[in-house]
Amino acid sequence: MKVKKFTAMDILRQTIIMAVLIVMLFPIYWMIVTSLKPTNLILMNPPVFTFKPTLEHYIYAFEQANFALYIRNTLLAAIFSTIIVVVAGSLASYGFARYNVGGGNLMFFILTTRMMPAIAVVLPFFVIFRTAGNSAIGQFFHLGMDRIGTLVVCYTIFNLPFAIWLMHSFFQDIPVELEDSARLDGYSRIKVFFKVVLPLAAPGIAVTAIFCLLFSWNEYLFASILTRDMAKTITVGVGDFWTQRGILWGPLSAAATVCVMPMIAFALLLQKWIVRGLTFGAVRG
Amino acid sequence: MIELRGVTKRFGTTLAVRNLNFTCHEGEFLVLFGPAGAGKSTTLRLIAGITEPSYGEIFLRGESLNGVPPERRNFSMVFENYALYSHLTVFENLAFPLRARGMPDAEVRRRVQEMAALLHIEGMTDRKPGYLSGGQRQRVALGRGLIRDAEIYLLDEPISHLDARLRIQMRAELKNMCLEKHRTVIHVTHDYKEAMALADRVIVLNKGRIMQDAAPEEVYHCPANDFVASFVGDPPMSFIKVSYREGEGGPAFILPEAGIVLRAAKDFGGRAAEKARTGSEIKLGLRSNQVSLFTTADQLNCYEARVYLVEAQGHRNLVTVDFQDNLVQISTSPETTWQVGQQVWIGLDPRFFHVFVDGRAVYHPDRNIVFSSIA
Repeated sequence: MKVKKFTAMDILRQTIIMAVLIVMLFPIYWMIVTSLKPTNLILMNPPVFTFKPTLEHYIYAFEQANFALYIRNTLLAAIFSTIIVVVAGSLASYGFARYNVGGGNLMFFILTTRMMPAIAVVLPFFVIFRTAGNSAIGQFFHLGMDRIGTLVVCYTIFNLPFAIWLMHSFFQDIPVELEDSARLDGYSRIKVFFKVVLPLAAPGIAVTAIFCLLFSWNEYLFASILTRDMAKTITVGVGDFWTQRGILWGPLSAAATVCVMPMIAFALLLQKWIVRGLTFGAVRG
Repeated sequence: MIELRGVTKRFGTTLAVRNLNFTCHEGEFLVLFGPAGAGKSTTLRLIAGITEPSYGEIFLRGESLNGVPPERRNFSMVFENYALYSHLTVFENLAFPLRARGMPDAEVRRRVQEMAALLHIEGMTDRKPGYLSGGQRQRVALGRGLIRDAEIYLLDEPISHLDARLRIQMRAELKNMCLEKHRTVIHVTHDYKEAMALADRVIVLNKGRIMQDAAPEEVYHCPANDFVASFVGDPPMSFIKVSYREGEGGPAFILPEAGIVLRAAKDFGGRAAEKARTGSEIKLGLRSNQVSLFTTADQLNCYEARVYLVEAQGHRNLVTVDFQDNLVQISTSPETTWQVGQQVWIGLDPRFFHVFVDGRAVYHPDRNIVFSSIA
């Protein structure tokens, strides 16, 4: 076996990689470290790197600030909106990919809803949802101010165009002959969709779902304006520690860590799928 | 059994196939043969119901198939690009058409194993198509197309990507299988040997039109026009541009610049001669094995030419000569040697001239005359 020698280029490359990694990861490291530091050491200058870790900030965040509720709200809003987006989005993008619905114009029109910044629609949304919350139907669907249904609708509206565009390319990559062949074998259009198209598009759909979950989980603007207590999400909850008495750095870091960790774990776990999904079109021979 | 009447398919401004009229009978092995872009695959897809004709109708046993979706036609098709399901194993790919019809598991298993054995892919049934070679994939595709009982089997270049040895083997097995089960097959190919070997009847297509619809020997010996002649055979016919004259010695083809006069065959006359008199462009078609090649001019009916290209093919040397600006291909025995640029004499026997006037065949030589190189 050949022993690989390190050349100067290798060393340089590794050094640059290390430097980039340190710059990228240090804030996360510092956030975690801060969340575990005793309060009196947090703002020490020069910074302290060795200390006895404590969980007091986490306990504070969960007991005083009701973080469990925020996590629940975020999860509910993210999961429900993702389900709606994936189901509606996959059907819509399949239609666009195979039947060229609207001749491309409709696809583009859908994208236009992403062309305005969220802040531009937040006030109309505020009025719409406040009114909707007063109607019986709105009540039934948990719409209204400070309710999770409102967040689900908002996240769906903002993720759906993205999902349709992303999945569109995945569906387009599936050779149409596969469907023709299945139809000749005796499967109807709808059966072909479930037996052939969906399994083949699964990696792409998974990627779309992951992105939707991440977006919804990290969403701040809508949640901050349309919720107050009951439907408050974790991103808004982090801001709770920015109090009139000052910034509570310990609990804030603890909350931020709680907010970030699930998504990092999630992404690491599904990394293989994400990469495969993104190169979905390229792997077929 | 299946009949196409005036079928035309238009894609945008291009006509993929125009005014197709043909019938495929029960138990017949019909080959659609033509170059790329001839409309062969489109024709299959029209029959399968994947695309609908722009004009015309397709009938199955006298009943129109217009508006009948592919899933209700009970046709089976093999696609040129295999169309294998990459998420299923080879076994499941083969079983797919059977499962669609709710066949019991044991029967599915038996049939899949049988088909896998026939195609020599027994060892790979639990692999996914992504881990197979191109030839193996094509065999799976062929197997999937043939595994179930269908009214008509539509095969789009089903063995074209196999290596030569396997292709010949599969060709024989395909023919055998279809013959045994009395299957009705419409087979698309651009390989003339495949067409000849498999077909009960060949339909030659070019640019969306039917050029000839005949038995394979007929297509070979009596091509209907210069396109078929230039496409069928290995090598296909060579052409010599001539003009026509009827002098005291009987009808003759002449190459005016060289002053060469080629007497027509004795039975050349009647309608053929009349066409030749009125036609503007006359060509003589020559099969490579019906032209002789000499190094000296001491034979009758010999004309000077120059060797243009020599291809050693093992069982023969294929020599292309330049004869008065016409390239003529001649099969010679493998023992002979020829130099490019060498001066040679070609022996042209008028009994073996195919005569084409304005692209259409007007005269074919008698098939029963045996060619001998001494003219």
